[in-house]
Amino acid sequence: MSADGEAQEAVDELARCRAEIERIDNQLIGLLAERLALGKQTGVLKREAGLPILDPTREAAVIRRVAAVARDAGLPPEPIREIFWQIVGMSRRAQEFE
Amino acid sequence: MIIITHPNVTDAEIDHIRERIEAAGMRTHLSRGEQRTIIGCIGDESLLAEVPLRSMPGVESVTPVLKPYKLASREFAAGPTVVRVGGRDAWASFGGRAITVIAGPCSVENRDMLLETATVVRDAGAAMLRGGAFKPRTSPYAFQGLGADALKMLTEVRAQTGIPVVTEVMDTRQVDLVAEHADMLQVGARNMQNFALLAELGHVRRPVLLKRGLSATIKELLMAAEYIMANGNHDVVLCERGIRTYETATRNTLDVAAIPVLKRESHLPVIVDPSHAGGDASLVAPLAFAAIAAGADGLIVEVHPNPECALSDGDQSLAPPAFASMMDRLEAFATAAGRTMSRMSSEARAVA
Repeated sequence: MSADGEAQEAVDELARCRAEIERIDNQLIGLLAERLALGKQTGVLKREAGLPILDPTREAAVIRRVAAVARDAGLPPEPIREIFWQIVGMSRRAQEFE
Repeated sequence: MIIITHPNVTDAEIDHIRERIEAAGMRTHLSRGEQRTIIGCIGDESLLAEVPLRSMPGVESVTPVLKPYKLASREFAAGPTVVRVGGRDAWASFGGRAITVIAGPCSVENRDMLLETATVVRDAGAAMLRGGAFKPRTSPYAFQGLGADALKMLTEVRAQTGIPVVTEVMDTRQVDLVAEHADMLQVGARNMQNFALLAELGHVRRPVLLKRGLSATIKELLMAAEYIMANGNHDVVLCERGIRTYETATRNTLDVAAIPVLKRESHLPVIVDPSHAGGDASLVAPLAFAAIAAGADGLIVEVHPNPECALSDGDQSLAPPAFASMMDRLEAFATAAGRTMSRMSSEARAVA
């Protein structure tokens, strides 16, 4: 195949990969919305049970668990920890203002 | 507070230690070195009073960090930090054995002058191009920079020459735009304590060149770095650029002692701006030599193809031959300090 043909094929493949990445991003957003809804539900349940919204022990356990899952999956645990601190924080804020 | 672990600590032990600290309401930062791993604790240390850290498996020692900066402090990292800039097509790094020189015009004036300057500084051994798009000027009537047009020129010249670019970001509203075009974002001396800007830069995935404010102490500079790091961005390069003193023969006074002090206090790379420090082209080379001799990891130097016609800071800009001559003479100082010069390989240049 000519060099031009190879370059064109790479450009086409790049577009396919990007479309796939967008599809996965949409899935991630959907999953985050689902997670947030469950978080809000735990907020309601915590109030009913007379428990505080902020639960550092539970948050630390969640972070430890996902870091271990990430490591087992061959992903770097530090960025995963950062991402999940953001997710845990988002969930906690949603519970506090519910 | 930092926790130094045993040399043969396991991942599970580290996870356990971090969980206990985080369960107490603090956050942790991990730094893995060849010899040891350090877990840094961030937050209110009194929360840890009840946690028996010393007796936990994998813990070798627990040491309080009394300084107000934590993430930026030497104790928090297992070794010196190397900040990598750019990508595979154009890259540079700060904090390794090599001295890295950034050079270019004070402000981007037009595409031709930028390309000409980038080519000559690259050929003389500079690893990065500087060029102001947004200029913080003392006078509102002085040239304010070409803004977004200059950013596009920087991107084009980067592609043509194969060297990464750094440019200043002055305002939180500009951060995303500048990050789209530049490999490294500069915080100017006048913005060193613009805490909203520092916090915003903590959220971008671009290295930050943080210049010392003209009346800022070393502690204040490190606290400014801490702001960026505490917001998530750990790729910070510190820059000494001269401080305001009673001396009027020079524009500012280069605080040479700040270099070894910063290297002692922090794991972050330190570079020096001899152009702004002296404010005079004839002072650039001697101040650059002093900086490298004192242990700086690099330099940022103003170079203009025709300094007398420069729209800003012409007095302190080097003409290309003077820059090339300085770079040649710099090598002896780098060698004496146990360093090498970071030059682009001939193959990289051929590709570019």
